[in-house]
Amino acid sequence: MVELSHESTVISLDGISLSFGGTRAVHDVSFYVNIGELFAVIGPNGAGKTSIFNCISGVYRPQKGSITFLGEELIGQSPEYIARIGVARMFQNIELFDNLTVVDNLMLGRTQHLAYSVLSALVYSPKTRRQETANREVVEGLIDFLDLEAYRAFPVGMLPYGAKKRVEFGRALAMDPKLLLLDEPVAGMNVEETEDMARFILDVRAEMGISMILVEHDMGLVMDLADRILVLDFGERIALGTPAEVQGDPKVIRAYLGEDLSETTKELT
Amino acid sequence: MTAIAESGVRTWTLAKQVRGSAASMGDGVAMRAKRLGVWRDITWSDYADNVSLVGHALLGLGIEPGDRVAIHSENRPEWLFTDLGTIAVRGITVGLYPTNPSAEVEYLLADSGSRILIAEDQEQVDKALAVESRCPALEHIVFLESRGVASIDHPKLMSWEDFLARGAAHREAFPDALDRRAAETQPDDVVTLVYTSGTTGPPKGAMLTNANVEFASNVIVDGGGLYEPPPNTGDVILSYLPLCHVAERAVTTWTNAVSGAVVHFAESIDTVVANLREVQPTLFFAVPRIWEKLKAAIEVRMAAASRIKRLNYGIWMKVGNGIAQSMLANGGRHTAWSRIRYGVGYVFLYRAMRDRIGLRKVRAAASAAAPIAPEVLYFFFMMGVPIHELYGMTENSAVATSNRRGRIKLGTVGEPHPGVEILLDEQTGEILTRHPGSFAGYWNRPDATADTLDAEGWLHTGDVGQWVEGTHLKIVDRIKDIIITAGGKNISPSELENAIKSSPFIREAIVIGDQRPYLVALIGIEEDTVGQWAKAKRIPYTTYRDLSEREEVLRLVQGIIAKVNEGTARVENIRKFRMITKALDHEDGDLTATQKVKRSALMVTFGPLIDDMYDGTDRLAGGDQSDVVVISRVEN
Repeated sequence: MVELSHESTVISLDGISLSFGGTRAVHDVSFYVNIGELFAVIGPNGAGKTSIFNCISGVYRPQKGSITFLGEELIGQSPEYIARIGVARMFQNIELFDNLTVVDNLMLGRTQHLAYSVLSALVYSPKTRRQETANREVVEGLIDFLDLEAYRAFPVGMLPYGAKKRVEFGRALAMDPKLLLLDEPVAGMNVEETEDMARFILDVRAEMGISMILVEHDMGLVMDLADRILVLDFGERIALGTPAEVQGDPKVIRAYLGEDLSETTKELT
Repeated sequence: MTAIAESGVRTWTLAKQVRGSAASMGDGVAMRAKRLGVWRDITWSDYADNVSLVGHALLGLGIEPGDRVAIHSENRPEWLFTDLGTIAVRGITVGLYPTNPSAEVEYLLADSGSRILIAEDQEQVDKALAVESRCPALEHIVFLESRGVASIDHPKLMSWEDFLARGAAHREAFPDALDRRAAETQPDDVVTLVYTSGTTGPPKGAMLTNANVEFASNVIVDGGGLYEPPPNTGDVILSYLPLCHVAERAVTTWTNAVSGAVVHFAESIDTVVANLREVQPTLFFAVPRIWEKLKAAIEVRMAAASRIKRLNYGIWMKVGNGIAQSMLANGGRHTAWSRIRYGVGYVFLYRAMRDRIGLRKVRAAASAAAPIAPEVLYFFFMMGVPIHELYGMTENSAVATSNRRGRIKLGTVGEPHPGVEILLDEQTGEILTRHPGSFAGYWNRPDATADTLDAEGWLHTGDVGQWVEGTHLKIVDRIKDIIITAGGKNISPSELENAIKSSPFIREAIVIGDQRPYLVALIGIEEDTVGQWAKAKRIPYTTYRDLSEREEVLRLVQGIIAKVNEGTARVENIRKFRMITKALDHEDGDLTATQKVKRSALMVTFGPLIDDMYDGTDRLAGGDQSDVVVISRVEN
């Protein structure tokens, strides 16, 4: 069950283990994601999905294993550095500035693409102006892409939930990432908002060619969108394959439905 | 009206008009569209060039005179390019509402036999592809936005860029092909099929010709048909209502082509309010629903404003009331005294309020397409925006009557334009119009045409009218909507409905009572305003349905109806009402594409509610609130 990573791989995790004190969060997990691939990680609550995201983005440091992003080892690097080299993350609990407008929030996502000094900004030099204009253009492109025109000048705090999620998505995209980590992008959304978000995710892949790792509870969405799926249970990998393969895997069914029904209800609540 | 030329070379067309403008003021701005947050200019030369490219592309694809080209898009420059490019090759434009669901798209494409469809984006392309196999005439689908479409592999799909590139190649190879085709143009060439909204039966395609459009255009620029003084190149228009409707076509495409007023396209349907504020148009056309919404928005905001703001608003609206009265007594014009009061109020309230809703620079405003409550018009008079109510319909190229400057009579649709004959049928009171803008008939429906257009050229509008003081026309109602109660009284439901709907809390009101002992109503609330009202009153609710059925909301509605009842005769009193607990929707078949209520459909859908009222039971939707009965006591 060892997949070989090759030229077209954007990120590969090799034998990652993470524990907090005596609690094992992730145990010996390996997988890779191809360029342009939409890769999903699923599993019951506490299976270690978010821990893996935290390992990739440098928030946690796994005790064992290695993470290679475009040939570079990520373990030991700071979250800032990892973001700068092209790993963006869309947070489940929207991480935006409520009092700033949609445009300003998205412009903040472009920070790492701005390279002028404080002095230059103070006098609003031609260099500053040029960069601000160029970045605004990128941001306007995203506003158009995510259908946020109507909210452009609204403080994010005033927006409906579905729109906030789109802004959060836009903020991650504004970084121009090579790899996008999507942490439950449709959590709490109604059917229509979910369909819209699915559309946007597919469009991002088709138009921008960005590789994505998706953590999501909405199984319908995962099965529809993902190219391949990794299933975790208690921090361990129990399956990896195409949606069809994973769906039929007895181990997966057991992990989700439990040995008997009482288990399931406990898990759900 | 210019004489109709015998030779086609001299036939007036919109395309020719734009070409003329490009020659005389090529670098002048014809329209602006917002792209990536910035308004971008499109000059008359750009406009004419795009029309020529579309024309050549259509020739290249083998479009023959009389062939149909459909457009399924929100308002944007490409809509106009396609419309005029089609006219240039003697084709016929068919507009589809962006909200048309797949089934209606199929009907419209199949009925019109459109050979080419210009579809805006993935949503519209998906609808077309779903029905394409049942529309045998359809050969090409040209998409304007490639997102999500580019990856679909379908032999009929083509991008707008490829379409224009074909046009450019064709123009290169046959530079005079377009001119040769255009030279054969006749005044009675059909240029567009405007599908009527179809509150009864399937939509019918009304055929409008070059001569029709020319007449209507002349009324717009010469006769002050829509706006007075007539529009000119210094005017600014916001285009936001569906262009497939004849009214928006008149105020966008035709007005722009003949007067040079600059058209601005709203970014999307969601941004109209914001765009209105940025653009601050000088001419503004809206349907009653939009005016009602603007009024409701102000009232709701003021209700939630600080005490001092409310006080200021109260004072100046009171003054505004006086201003409106003296203006109305003066036919809509200021008197010296009203002007002074307005000047002071402008500093304190009117300027800020008009700026907020985007009407600060409006010099002429109009309302048409459906009856509007005088209360709503009056509200805008109070802040110095006189709205001219107009009357016209698809079948007469949107041209019949208007309230002229200085001769406004509230509650009427004004006086006939020069060159327009109007007659009221002696028996039924039906309005008949006759002028060169009368349409050429319904597409493939000679039977329906014969019912509408008689041998002497009179158009039977289906509306019942009355003369007010011998000069102004008042619309009573649609003939088929007139209620004859069991007691034999004729009642116009729309007047009552509009009076109820002039409350910011009511979105839909449907008055029923044909062949019944008394009148009842179905009421749908405006979710935004009632929701805010409920929040302010700390009334908890979950869904639209839940909100509709709250006792406090029922009381609110009851109060509104009781107030309307106070102003009407006893037979016109609404005795009972029931709440419609779902928001009416075009896709569900409750509304037409122009948001008009489909009465017959609703009678079936809400049959149980109606029966509940007439059976004297109270099983459904708020009927268990015994105080509903109070209404009939109020008017006793």
